[in-house]
Amino acid sequence: MEKQKLYDSFVQLEADAKRMLARIDEMQTDLMQVLERDAELEIENQHLRERLQEIQAAADKKSERPKTAAAPRLSKSRANLKKLYKAGFHVCNQMYGSRLDDDEPCAFCLDVIYGERR
Amino acid sequence: MQFSIKRTLFVKKLNDVQRAISSKTTIPILTGIKLALTDAGLMLTGSDADISIEAFISATDEKNELEIGSTGAIVLPARFFSEIVKKLPEDTMTLEVKDNFQTELRSGSASFTINGLDANNYPHLPSIDTEKQVVIDANVLKQLIAQTVIAVSTQESRPILTGVHLVLDNQELLAVATDSHRLSQRKLHLDIDKDIHYDVIIPGKSLLELSRTLSDDVETVEMRIAENQVLFVAGTISFYSRLLEGNYPETSRLIPSSSTTQVEFNAPQLLAAIERASLLSHASHNNVIKLTLDPAKDDVTIYGNSPDVGNVQETLTHSNLDGEQLEISFNPDYMKDALRSFGQTEIQVAFTSALRPFTLVPTEDQDHFVQLITPVRTF
Repeated sequence: MEKQKLYDSFVQLEADAKRMLARIDEMQTDLMQVLERDAELEIENQHLRERLQEIQAAADKKSERPKTAAAPRLSKSRANLKKLYKAGFHVCNQMYGSRLDDDEPCAFCLDVIYGERR
Repeated sequence: MQFSIKRTLFVKKLNDVQRAISSKTTIPILTGIKLALTDAGLMLTGSDADISIEAFISATDEKNELEIGSTGAIVLPARFFSEIVKKLPEDTMTLEVKDNFQTELRSGSASFTINGLDANNYPHLPSIDTEKQVVIDANVLKQLIAQTVIAVSTQESRPILTGVHLVLDNQELLAVATDSHRLSQRKLHLDIDKDIHYDVIIPGKSLLELSRTLSDDVETVEMRIAENQVLFVAGTISFYSRLLEGNYPETSRLIPSSSTTQVEFNAPQLLAAIERASLLSHASHNNVIKLTLDPAKDDVTIYGNSPDVGNVQETLTHSNLDGEQLEISFNPDYMKDALRSFGQTEIQVAFTSALRPFTLVPTEDQDHFVQLITPVRTF
Protein backbone atom coordinates (compact mmCIF):
# COMPACT_ATOMS: atom_id res chain seq x y z
CA MET A 1 0.00 0.00 0.00
CA GLU A 2 2.84 2.31 0.88
CA LYS A 3 4.27 2.03 -2.63
CA GLN A 4 0.97 2.94 -4.23
CA LYS A 5 0.81 6.04 -2.08
CA LEU A 6 4.31 7.04 -2.99
CA TYR A 7 3.54 6.62 -6.68
CA ASP A 8 0.35 8.66 -6.40
CA SER A 9 2.09 11.52 -4.69
CA PHE A 10 4.79 11.44 -7.34
CA VAL A 11 2.20 11.74 -10.09
CA GLN A 12 0.58 14.53 -8.18
CA LEU A 13 3.93 16.32 -7.88
CA GLU A 14 4.55 15.94 -11.59
CA ALA A 15 1.21 17.48 -12.41
CA ASP A 16 1.95 20.35 -10.03
CA ALA A 17 5.34 20.97 -11.61
CA LYS A 18 3.79 21.00 -15.08
CA ARG A 19 1.19 23.50 -13.99
CA MET A 20 3.89 25.62 -12.40
CA LEU A 21 5.93 25.59 -15.61
CA ALA A 22 2.92 26.67 -17.62
CA ARG A 23 2.41 29.54 -15.18
CA ILE A 24 6.04 30.60 -15.42
CA ASP A 25 5.79 30.65 -19.20
CA GLU A 26 2.67 32.73 -19.01
CA MET A 27 4.23 35.18 -16.60
CA GLN A 28 7.31 35.50 -18.74
CA THR A 29 5.24 36.45 -21.75
CA ASP A 30 3.37 38.98 -19.64
CA LEU A 31 6.62 40.41 -18.32
CA MET A 32 8.01 40.77 -21.83
CA GLN A 33 4.91 42.64 -22.87
CA VAL A 34 5.13 44.96 -19.90
CA LEU A 35 8.81 45.63 -20.55
CA GLU A 36 8.18 46.38 -24.19
CA ARG A 37 5.38 48.72 -23.28
CA ASP A 38 7.59 50.37 -20.70
CA ALA A 39 10.33 51.01 -23.24
CA GLU A 40 7.81 52.35 -25.73
CA LEU A 41 6.31 54.68 -23.17
CA GLU A 42 9.74 55.90 -22.15
CA ILE A 43 10.62 56.79 -25.72
CA GLU A 44 7.22 58.40 -26.19
CA ASN A 45 7.70 60.36 -22.97
CA GLN A 46 11.08 61.57 -24.14
CA HIS A 47 9.67 62.72 -27.46
CA LEU A 48 6.93 64.58 -25.66
CA ARG A 49 9.44 66.21 -23.32
CA GLU A 50 11.56 67.30 -26.28
CA ARG A 51 8.47 68.74 -27.93
CA LEU A 52 7.50 70.49 -24.72
CA GLN A 53 10.95 71.96 -24.42
CA GLU A 54 10.75 73.22 -28.00
CA ILE A 55 7.42 74.85 -27.33
CA GLN A 56 8.70 76.39 -24.12
CA ALA A 57 11.85 77.64 -25.82
CA ALA A 58 9.74 79.24 -28.52
CA ALA A 59 7.53 80.83 -25.90
CA ASP A 60 10.59 82.07 -23.98
CA LYS A 61 11.94 83.64 -27.12
CA LYS A 62 8.70 85.38 -27.87
CA SER A 63 8.32 86.90 -24.44
CA GLU A 64 12.06 87.72 -24.47
CA ARG A 65 12.43 86.45 -20.96
CA PRO A 66 16.03 85.98 -19.94
CA LYS A 67 16.58 82.25 -19.77
CA THR A 68 17.64 80.77 -16.47
CA ALA A 69 21.31 79.90 -16.47
CA ALA A 70 21.07 76.27 -17.45
CA ALA A 71 24.08 74.07 -18.05
CA PRO A 72 25.24 74.17 -21.67
CA ARG A 73 23.18 71.58 -23.45
CA LEU A 74 24.79 68.68 -25.22
CA SER A 75 24.27 68.31 -28.91
CA LYS A 76 21.83 65.64 -29.92
CA SER A 77 24.48 63.14 -30.98
CA ARG A 78 26.40 63.60 -27.76
CA ALA A 79 23.22 63.26 -25.73
CA ASN A 80 22.68 59.98 -27.52
CA LEU A 81 26.16 58.80 -26.57
CA LYS A 82 25.52 59.89 -23.02
CA LYS A 83 22.39 57.78 -22.99
CA LEU A 84 24.36 54.76 -24.16
CA TYR A 85 27.03 55.42 -21.55
CA LYS A 86 24.42 55.70 -18.84
CA ALA A 87 22.93 52.44 -20.01
CA GLY A 88 26.30 50.86 -19.25
CA PHE A 89 28.19 50.76 -22.54
CA HIS A 90 31.52 52.21 -23.61
CA VAL A 91 31.25 54.96 -26.18
CA CYS A 92 34.96 55.67 -26.49
CA ASN A 93 36.92 54.86 -29.62
CA GLN A 94 38.91 52.11 -27.93
CA MET A 95 36.08 50.03 -26.48
CA TYR A 96 32.99 51.21 -28.34
CA GLY A 97 29.96 49.08 -27.63
CA SER A 98 31.39 46.80 -24.96
CA ARG A 99 29.95 46.71 -21.46
CA LEU A 100 31.34 48.91 -18.70
CA ASP A 101 32.68 46.39 -16.18
CA ASP A 102 31.04 46.61 -12.75
CA ASP A 103 29.67 50.04 -13.61
CA GLU A 104 33.19 51.48 -13.48
CA PRO A 105 33.50 54.92 -15.02
CA CYS A 106 35.60 55.43 -18.16
CA ALA A 107 37.59 58.63 -18.66
CA PHE A 108 37.79 58.15 -22.43
CA CYS A 109 34.02 57.89 -22.73
CA LEU A 110 33.53 61.04 -20.66
CA ASP A 111 35.93 62.84 -22.94
CA VAL A 112 33.93 61.74 -25.98
CA ILE A 113 30.67 62.92 -24.39
CA TYR A 114 31.73 66.12 -22.68
CA GLY A 115 35.18 66.90 -24.05
CA GLU A 116 35.90 69.87 -26.23
CA ARG A 117 36.56 69.03 -29.84
CA ARG A 118 39.60 70.87 -31.00
CA MET B 1 84.26 25.80 -15.85
CA GLN B 2 85.37 26.14 -12.26
CA PHE B 3 85.35 28.99 -9.74
CA SER B 4 85.05 29.79 -6.06
CA ILE B 5 83.29 32.83 -4.63
CA LYS B 6 82.16 34.53 -1.44
CA ARG B 7 78.76 33.05 -0.77
CA THR B 8 76.88 36.05 0.74
CA LEU B 9 77.64 38.18 -2.29
CA PHE B 10 76.72 35.40 -4.68
CA VAL B 11 73.36 34.91 -2.93
CA LYS B 12 72.61 38.61 -3.26
CA LYS B 13 73.26 38.61 -7.00
CA LEU B 14 71.34 35.39 -7.35
CA ASN B 15 68.30 36.99 -5.71
CA ASP B 16 68.47 39.92 -8.13
CA VAL B 17 68.52 37.68 -11.16
CA GLN B 18 65.88 35.35 -9.84
CA ARG B 19 63.24 38.09 -9.98
CA ALA B 20 63.06 37.52 -13.71
CA ILE B 21 62.73 33.75 -13.48
CA SER B 22 59.25 32.35 -13.44
CA SER B 23 58.33 28.71 -12.82
CA LYS B 24 55.45 29.11 -15.26
CA THR B 25 57.29 29.50 -18.51
CA THR B 26 56.60 27.91 -21.83
CA ILE B 27 60.30 27.57 -22.62
CA PRO B 28 61.71 24.95 -20.22
CA ILE B 29 65.29 26.23 -20.24
CA LEU B 30 64.07 29.57 -18.84
CA THR B 31 63.35 27.91 -15.49
CA GLY B 32 67.13 27.79 -15.23
CA ILE B 33 69.71 30.40 -14.42
CA LYS B 34 72.62 30.93 -16.77
CA LEU B 35 76.14 31.32 -15.42
CA ALA B 36 78.78 32.48 -17.86
CA LEU B 37 82.34 32.78 -16.65
CA THR B 38 84.94 34.75 -18.55
CA ASP B 39 88.30 36.11 -17.47
CA ALA B 40 86.62 39.42 -16.68
CA GLY B 41 84.14 37.89 -14.27
CA LEU B 42 80.91 35.96 -13.81
CA MET B 43 77.66 36.91 -15.54
CA LEU B 44 74.36 35.61 -14.14
CA THR B 45 71.27 35.69 -16.38
CA GLY B 46 67.62 35.04 -15.61
CA SER B 47 64.66 35.55 -17.93
CA ASP B 48 60.97 34.82 -18.42
CA ALA B 49 60.94 36.00 -22.04
CA ASP B 50 59.20 39.25 -21.01
CA ILE B 51 61.91 40.55 -18.73
CA SER B 52 65.54 39.48 -18.43
CA ILE B 53 68.00 40.42 -15.72
CA GLU B 54 71.76 40.17 -15.93
CA ALA B 55 74.06 40.62 -12.95
CA PHE B 56 77.81 40.85 -13.31
CA ILE B 57 80.36 39.86 -10.68
CA SER B 58 83.71 41.35 -11.54
CA ALA B 59 86.88 39.32 -11.10
CA THR B 60 88.93 42.45 -10.44
CA ASP B 61 86.88 43.57 -7.43
CA GLU B 62 88.60 42.21 -4.30
CA LYS B 63 85.38 42.15 -2.28
CA ASN B 64 83.88 39.50 -4.51
CA GLU B 65 86.65 36.98 -3.69
CA LEU B 66 86.07 35.51 -7.12
CA GLU B 67 88.74 33.01 -8.05
CA ILE B 68 88.54 31.63 -11.55
CA GLY B 69 89.82 28.13 -12.23
CA SER B 70 88.64 27.75 -15.80
CA THR B 71 86.07 29.68 -17.88
CA GLY B 72 82.86 28.36 -19.47
CA ALA B 73 79.06 28.51 -19.20
CA ILE B 74 76.25 26.42 -17.75
CA VAL B 75 72.49 26.61 -17.10
CA LEU B 76 71.33 25.32 -13.71
CA PRO B 77 67.77 24.82 -12.40
CA ALA B 78 67.17 28.14 -10.65
CA ARG B 79 65.00 27.06 -7.76
CA PHE B 80 67.17 24.17 -6.55
CA PHE B 81 70.40 26.01 -7.23
CA SER B 82 69.51 29.08 -5.21
CA GLU B 83 68.07 27.07 -2.34
CA ILE B 84 71.21 24.96 -2.17
CA VAL B 85 73.50 27.97 -2.33
CA LYS B 86 71.57 29.71 0.45
CA LYS B 87 71.93 26.70 2.75
CA LEU B 88 75.56 25.85 2.16
CA PRO B 89 77.60 25.80 5.41
CA GLU B 90 80.75 27.88 4.80
CA ASP B 91 81.48 31.47 3.73
CA THR B 92 82.93 30.48 0.41
CA MET B 93 81.67 28.02 -2.17
CA THR B 94 83.16 26.31 -5.17
CA LEU B 95 81.36 25.39 -8.38
CA GLU B 96 82.74 23.02 -10.94
CA VAL B 97 81.16 21.77 -14.17
CA LYS B 98 82.05 18.16 -14.95
CA ASP B 99 81.15 15.89 -17.88
CA ASN B 100 77.59 15.91 -19.29
CA PHE B 101 76.80 19.24 -17.61
CA GLN B 102 76.95 17.64 -14.17
CA THR B 103 77.77 20.43 -11.78
CA GLU B 104 79.39 20.00 -8.41
CA LEU B 105 78.85 22.54 -5.63
CA ARG B 106 81.15 22.36 -2.63
CA SER B 107 81.30 24.34 0.57
CA GLY B 108 83.09 23.03 3.63
CA SER B 109 82.31 19.35 3.89
CA ALA B 110 79.04 19.55 1.91
CA SER B 111 79.02 18.51 -1.70
CA PHE B 112 76.08 18.62 -4.15
CA THR B 113 75.97 17.37 -7.69
CA ILE B 114 73.13 18.75 -9.83
CA ASN B 115 72.23 18.26 -13.46
CA GLY B 116 72.80 21.30 -15.62
CA LEU B 117 71.85 22.15 -19.21
CA ASP B 118 73.89 23.25 -22.17
CA ALA B 119 74.27 27.04 -22.04
CA ASN B 120 74.32 27.18 -25.86
CA ASN B 121 70.60 26.41 -25.85
CA TYR B 122 69.80 29.43 -23.68
CA PRO B 123 68.13 32.21 -25.68
CA HIS B 124 70.34 35.14 -26.55
CA LEU B 125 69.44 38.44 -24.98
CA PRO B 126 68.79 41.23 -27.45
CA SER B 127 71.77 43.43 -28.07
CA ILE B 128 70.89 47.07 -27.60
CA ASP B 129 73.64 49.31 -28.79
CA THR B 130 72.53 52.86 -29.16
CA GLU B 131 74.32 56.09 -28.57
CA LYS B 132 71.16 57.72 -27.36
CA GLN B 133 71.20 56.69 -23.75
CA VAL B 134 69.25 58.50 -21.07
CA VAL B 135 70.64 58.80 -17.56
CA ILE B 136 68.13 59.21 -14.74
CA ASP B 137 68.70 59.57 -11.02
CA ALA B 138 67.73 56.23 -9.45
CA ASN B 139 65.57 57.73 -6.70
CA VAL B 140 63.73 59.96 -9.16
CA LEU B 141 63.08 56.97 -11.41
CA LYS B 142 61.82 54.92 -8.48
CA GLN B 143 59.47 57.74 -7.53
CA LEU B 144 58.26 58.10 -11.11
CA ILE B 145 57.54 54.38 -11.27
CA ALA B 146 55.72 54.36 -7.92
CA GLN B 147 53.60 57.33 -8.97
CA THR B 148 52.53 56.02 -12.35
CA VAL B 149 52.34 52.25 -11.90
CA ILE B 150 49.35 52.59 -9.55
CA ALA B 151 47.17 53.67 -12.46
CA VAL B 152 48.21 50.87 -14.79
CA SER B 153 45.39 48.57 -15.84
CA THR B 154 45.40 45.02 -14.51
CA GLN B 155 42.95 43.78 -17.11
CA GLU B 156 44.30 41.90 -20.07
CA SER B 157 41.32 42.93 -22.18
CA ARG B 158 43.14 46.11 -23.10
CA PRO B 159 46.80 45.07 -23.14
CA ILE B 160 48.06 48.48 -24.17
CA LEU B 161 46.80 50.00 -20.90
CA THR B 162 48.86 47.54 -18.83
CA GLY B 163 51.89 49.63 -19.72
CA VAL B 164 53.27 53.02 -18.82
CA HIS B 165 53.54 55.40 -21.76
CA LEU B 166 56.92 57.13 -21.82
CA VAL B 167 57.45 60.05 -24.14
CA LEU B 168 60.80 61.77 -24.29
CA ASP B 169 60.91 64.97 -26.24
CA ASN B 170 62.93 68.14 -25.97
CA GLN B 171 64.63 67.12 -22.69
CA GLU B 172 61.26 66.42 -21.11
CA LEU B 173 60.24 62.94 -20.01
CA LEU B 174 56.49 62.37 -19.75
CA ALA B 175 55.20 59.21 -18.08
CA VAL B 176 51.48 58.43 -18.27
CA ALA B 177 49.46 55.45 -17.09
CA THR B 178 45.72 54.97 -17.10
CA ASP B 179 43.22 52.14 -16.72
CA SER B 180 40.50 54.48 -18.07
CA HIS B 181 39.06 54.94 -14.56
CA ARG B 182 41.95 57.06 -13.33
CA LEU B 183 45.12 58.46 -14.77
CA SER B 184 48.50 59.40 -13.45
CA GLN B 185 50.94 61.63 -15.26
CA ARG B 186 54.45 62.60 -14.25
CA LYS B 187 56.83 64.98 -16.02
CA LEU B 188 60.58 65.13 -15.57
CA HIS B 189 63.19 67.47 -16.91
CA LEU B 190 66.35 65.67 -18.00
CA ASP B 191 69.71 67.16 -18.86
CA ILE B 192 70.26 65.21 -22.05
CA ASP B 193 70.83 65.75 -25.72
CA LYS B 194 67.96 67.68 -27.28
CA ASP B 195 67.85 65.32 -30.24
CA ILE B 196 66.83 62.31 -28.21
CA HIS B 197 63.22 61.47 -28.90
CA TYR B 198 61.39 58.35 -27.74
CA ASP B 199 57.78 57.19 -27.60
CA VAL B 200 57.45 53.78 -25.97
CA ILE B 201 55.11 51.75 -23.76
CA ILE B 202 56.80 49.71 -21.03
CA PRO B 203 54.76 47.00 -19.24
CA GLY B 204 53.85 48.16 -15.73
CA LYS B 205 54.91 44.81 -14.33
CA SER B 206 58.43 45.25 -15.72
CA LEU B 207 58.76 48.70 -14.18
CA LEU B 208 57.62 47.37 -10.83
CA GLU B 209 60.25 44.63 -10.95
CA LEU B 210 62.84 47.16 -12.03
CA SER B 211 62.16 49.42 -9.08
CA ARG B 212 62.44 46.43 -6.74
CA THR B 213 65.80 45.57 -8.29
CA LEU B 214 67.16 49.07 -7.70
CA SER B 215 68.98 48.85 -4.37
CA ASP B 216 69.75 51.92 -2.31
CA ASP B 217 73.42 52.03 -3.31
CA VAL B 218 72.56 52.58 -6.99
CA GLU B 219 72.70 56.29 -7.83
CA THR B 220 71.87 56.55 -11.49
CA VAL B 221 70.14 54.37 -14.04
CA GLU B 222 70.93 54.38 -17.70
CA MET B 223 68.04 53.76 -20.09
CA ARG B 224 68.54 52.55 -23.64
CA ILE B 225 65.74 51.84 -26.07
CA ALA B 226 65.77 49.69 -29.18
CA GLU B 227 63.08 48.55 -31.58
CA ASN B 228 61.02 46.43 -29.18
CA GLN B 229 63.20 46.27 -26.08
CA VAL B 230 64.27 48.62 -23.35
CA LEU B 231 67.41 48.17 -21.29
CA PHE B 232 68.05 49.72 -17.89
CA VAL B 233 71.60 49.55 -16.59
CA ALA B 234 71.98 50.15 -12.85
CA GLY B 235 75.43 49.45 -11.47
CA THR B 236 76.28 45.84 -12.23
CA ILE B 237 72.67 44.94 -13.07
CA SER B 238 71.22 45.04 -16.56
CA PHE B 239 67.44 44.90 -16.81
CA TYR B 240 65.83 44.12 -20.16
CA SER B 241 62.13 44.40 -20.82
CA ARG B 242 59.92 43.82 -23.81
CA LEU B 243 57.99 46.87 -24.96
CA LEU B 244 54.25 46.81 -25.60
CA GLU B 245 53.35 47.22 -29.23
CA GLY B 246 50.54 49.43 -30.40
CA ASN B 247 49.36 52.98 -30.07
CA TYR B 248 48.70 54.37 -26.64
CA PRO B 249 45.43 56.29 -26.59
CA GLU B 250 45.70 60.05 -26.62
CA THR B 251 45.61 61.05 -22.95
CA SER B 252 46.54 64.73 -22.88
CA ARG B 253 42.99 65.75 -23.73
CA LEU B 254 41.61 63.77 -20.79
CA ILE B 255 43.14 66.19 -18.33
CA PRO B 256 40.82 69.18 -18.00
CA SER B 257 42.48 72.53 -18.56
CA SER B 258 40.01 74.58 -16.54
CA SER B 259 37.93 73.97 -13.45
CA THR B 260 34.89 75.41 -11.71
CA THR B 261 35.57 74.37 -8.11
CA GLN B 262 38.95 74.20 -6.39
CA VAL B 263 39.96 73.20 -2.89
CA GLU B 264 43.19 72.39 -1.06
CA PHE B 265 43.87 69.58 1.38
CA ASN B 266 46.72 68.10 3.35
CA ALA B 267 47.27 64.79 1.56
CA PRO B 268 47.78 62.51 4.63
CA GLN B 269 44.79 64.08 6.42
CA LEU B 270 42.53 63.59 3.43
CA LEU B 271 43.85 60.05 3.02
CA ALA B 272 42.98 59.21 6.62
CA ALA B 273 39.45 60.58 6.18
CA ILE B 274 38.92 58.68 2.91
CA GLU B 275 40.16 55.50 4.58
CA ARG B 276 37.63 55.96 7.37
CA ALA B 277 34.80 56.57 4.93
CA SER B 278 35.78 53.59 2.78
CA LEU B 279 35.40 51.24 5.74
CA LEU B 280 31.68 51.28 5.12
CA SER B 281 31.64 51.82 1.37
CA HIS B 282 33.62 48.60 0.94
CA ALA B 283 30.78 46.70 2.55
CA SER B 284 28.24 47.96 0.05
CA HIS B 285 27.83 46.70 -3.46
CA ASN B 286 28.95 49.76 -5.38
CA ASN B 287 31.85 51.05 -3.25
CA VAL B 288 31.23 54.75 -3.66
CA ILE B 289 31.74 57.73 -1.41
CA LYS B 290 30.19 61.12 -1.93
CA LEU B 291 31.90 64.46 -1.51
CA THR B 292 30.01 67.72 -1.19
CA LEU B 293 31.66 71.10 -1.53
CA ASP B 294 29.82 74.24 -0.54
CA PRO B 295 31.95 77.38 -0.97
CA ALA B 296 29.18 79.62 0.40
CA LYS B 297 29.34 77.85 3.76
CA ASP B 298 33.04 77.01 3.37
CA ASP B 299 32.14 73.39 4.01
CA VAL B 300 33.55 70.14 2.59
CA THR B 301 31.94 66.89 3.73
CA ILE B 302 32.30 63.27 2.73
CA TYR B 303 29.59 60.65 3.07
CA GLY B 304 29.81 56.91 2.90
CA ASN B 305 26.75 54.74 2.93
CA SER B 306 26.25 51.02 3.05
CA PRO B 307 22.57 50.08 3.36
CA ASP B 308 23.39 46.87 5.23
CA VAL B 309 25.80 48.29 7.79
CA GLY B 310 25.26 52.00 8.29
CA ASN B 311 26.63 55.31 7.15
CA VAL B 312 29.43 57.75 7.86
CA GLN B 313 29.78 61.50 7.52
CA GLU B 314 32.84 63.62 8.13
CA THR B 315 33.57 67.31 7.70
CA LEU B 316 37.00 67.76 6.16
CA THR B 317 39.71 70.22 7.11
CA HIS B 318 40.51 72.18 3.97
CA SER B 319 41.71 75.54 2.73
CA ASN B 320 41.11 77.89 -0.19
CA LEU B 321 37.75 76.45 -1.18
CA ASP B 322 36.57 78.40 -4.16
CA GLY B 323 34.11 78.21 -7.05
CA GLU B 324 30.71 76.62 -7.52
CA GLN B 325 28.83 74.30 -5.24
CA LEU B 326 29.30 70.65 -6.17
CA GLU B 327 28.35 67.13 -5.23
CA ILE B 328 30.43 64.31 -6.65
CA SER B 329 30.73 60.55 -6.08
CA PHE B 330 33.81 58.43 -6.67
CA ASN B 331 35.52 55.16 -5.85
CA PRO B 332 37.54 55.70 -2.66
CA ASP B 333 40.17 53.12 -3.65
CA TYR B 334 41.32 55.23 -6.58
CA MET B 335 41.46 58.24 -4.30
CA LYS B 336 43.54 56.34 -1.75
CA ASP B 337 46.07 55.16 -4.33
CA ALA B 338 46.36 58.67 -5.69
CA LEU B 339 46.79 60.28 -2.28
CA ARG B 340 49.45 57.79 -1.19
CA SER B 341 51.53 58.71 -4.22
CA PHE B 342 51.72 62.32 -3.03
CA GLY B 343 53.27 61.54 0.34
CA GLN B 344 53.49 64.31 2.94
CA THR B 345 52.33 67.32 1.00
CA GLU B 346 49.56 69.82 0.36
CA ILE B 347 47.45 69.09 -2.69
CA GLN B 348 44.97 70.99 -4.79
CA VAL B 349 41.88 69.24 -6.08
CA ALA B 350 40.07 70.77 -9.05
CA PHE B 351 36.57 69.81 -10.21
CA THR B 352 34.76 70.71 -13.42
CA SER B 353 31.37 69.11 -12.85
CA ALA B 354 29.88 66.12 -11.09
CA LEU B 355 30.21 64.16 -14.31
CA ARG B 356 33.68 65.14 -15.46
CA PRO B 357 36.96 63.75 -14.13
CA PHE B 358 38.69 65.76 -11.42
CA THR B 359 42.39 66.30 -10.85
CA LEU B 360 44.77 66.23 -7.90
CA VAL B 361 48.05 68.15 -8.10
CA PRO B 362 50.65 69.15 -5.51
CA THR B 363 49.98 72.75 -4.47
CA GLU B 364 53.68 73.63 -4.73
CA ASP B 365 54.41 72.29 -8.18
CA GLN B 366 51.29 71.98 -10.31
CA ASP B 367 52.96 71.14 -13.61
CA HIS B 368 54.93 67.99 -13.02
CA PHE B 369 52.52 65.60 -11.39
CA VAL B 370 48.81 65.07 -12.01
CA GLN B 371 46.43 62.40 -10.77
CA LEU B 372 43.05 62.23 -12.44
CA ILE B 373 40.02 60.35 -11.12
CA THR B 374 36.78 59.70 -12.96
CA PRO B 375 33.61 60.08 -10.91
CA VAL B 376 31.17 57.23 -10.63
CA ARG B 377 28.12 57.44 -12.86
CA THR B 378 25.20 58.51 -10.74
CA PHE B 379 21.64 58.14 -11.85
